[in-house]
Amino acid sequence: MSNTASSKSTYTPAPGARFTVGDQVVVKAAYPPGHRRTPQYIRRKQGVIERICGAFPNPEELAYGFDGKPYRVLYRVRFYQTHVWESYTGSANDIIEMEIYEHWLEPAGVKT
Amino acid sequence: MKTIPSDIGGEPAGPVDIIDHGMKHWERQANAFRSVVQLNKIVCTDELRRAAEELGDRYKDMHYFEITTSAVRKVLVEKGLFTEQQLQAKMAEIRKRFDVPDEMDSPLKGAGGK
Amino acid sequence: MSGPAHTTKTSGHADTDHGHDHDHDHEHDHEHDEHKPINEHDDGPPGEYEIMSRAMQELLEQQGVITAEQVAERMELFDEVFPYHGGQVVARAWVDPEFKKRLLADGRAACAEMGAMLEAERLIAVENTPEVHNVIVCTLCSCYPRALLGMPPTWYKSRNYRSRVVFEPRAVLREFGTMLPDSVTVRVHDSNADMRYLVIPMRPQGTDGWSEEKLAAILSRDTLVGVRLPRIPA
Repeated sequence: MSNTASSKSTYTPAPGARFTVGDQVVVKAAYPPGHRRTPQYIRRKQGVIERICGAFPNPEELAYGFDGKPYRVLYRVRFYQTHVWESYTGSANDIIEMEIYEHWLEPAGVKT
Repeated sequence: MKTIPSDIGGEPAGPVDIIDHGMKHWERQANAFRSVVQLNKIVCTDELRRAAEELGDRYKDMHYFEITTSAVRKVLVEKGLFTEQQLQAKMAEIRKRFDVPDEMDSPLKGAGGK
Repeated sequence: MSGPAHTTKTSGHADTDHGHDHDHDHEHDHEHDEHKPINEHDDGPPGEYEIMSRAMQELLEQQGVITAEQVAERMELFDEVFPYHGGQVVARAWVDPEFKKRLLADGRAACAEMGAMLEAERLIAVENTPEVHNVIVCTLCSCYPRALLGMPPTWYKSRNYRSRVVFEPRAVLREFGTMLPDSVTVRVHDSNADMRYLVIPMRPQGTDGWSEEKLAAILSRDTLVGVRLPRIPA
């Protein structure tokens, strides 16, 4: 555990990022088996890019012992709760945010 | 549609037991062991998560450290650190040390603590 | 030595033998051969999963890929060091606005300034305001900023918390005694990939001039996950 390792940034560069902050995106309506980090409740939902976290090895490959390359861009995406849950009972302003990998996202308005 | 047992966000469920029941000594040690195995880059977090997900139907009936211990086991066997036979032999040796009969199933430390 | 928020709940038997002195428990551990049967911390004989974990640990030690000392050291970090970092980091953010800006911009680097080494963890700090209240969950497993908060509490790992806080956060917060008016937006973070989260609660009134140590003492783990609000003790 070196000081250098720990003082590194939370974020990594993502020069080839497809989306920018503020883009409206939709989470793909796909249900492939195997290791995924995109919760089923958020699939098909529309949200907005809140920040770009960087590019990381793909966890879906790391999970099976592969090196996860090429790196994939990870975003934080913000959703209105009323857009996620049909009968959401809280405030209409309530939001939920999570990290979604680029290959799970499409621009809003594009048929998936 | 849920393809992995741990993907439970949004499922109806009962009240949260807001008391922290803490960890038993063996759980703290198992957690530390798991942590060392990751730090030494023998397994990675994603492999452990995937192995836990592969518990399938058993997942919902298992407690957290039973899940994590099973996941470590699966990945270590996959990577050839030891075989199932070697593990079983070592477990039998440990049972003898603690004078535990071979047929004992996994109790949930019933007496007193949780 | 540690307050209730950080004390591991031990069995009655262990309490009789060792009291609540956490340091004493650890000295006791280090004097023993890790492989000799020591059951004094848990009731009854070891169960299947304890035996499994011990067996795996011994097999890897025999191969020289890990050592018993590494495991013991890690246990100590989880119990004695990690749980305190989160409160210290947020107390610093409360007293030092420039530090808070750095923490919000880049969590891991800011924590490193304070000696809280996050290893592989990447951290996003989220700030409570009069308009927004943040709450953290990992629905898929139990991701949690362990290097800042120690091990997650049992409720955080529970099915009921993980499944419900994403779709009825206000009801779940009420179960913790936290009532939020509709004028406050609830912002749930599902810690589902590579990031970990730390809530920066609002600093309560009546804490002017407090030392960082005194502030850290009211920043319990539950306030840093977002299920409770910090309170000034009566």
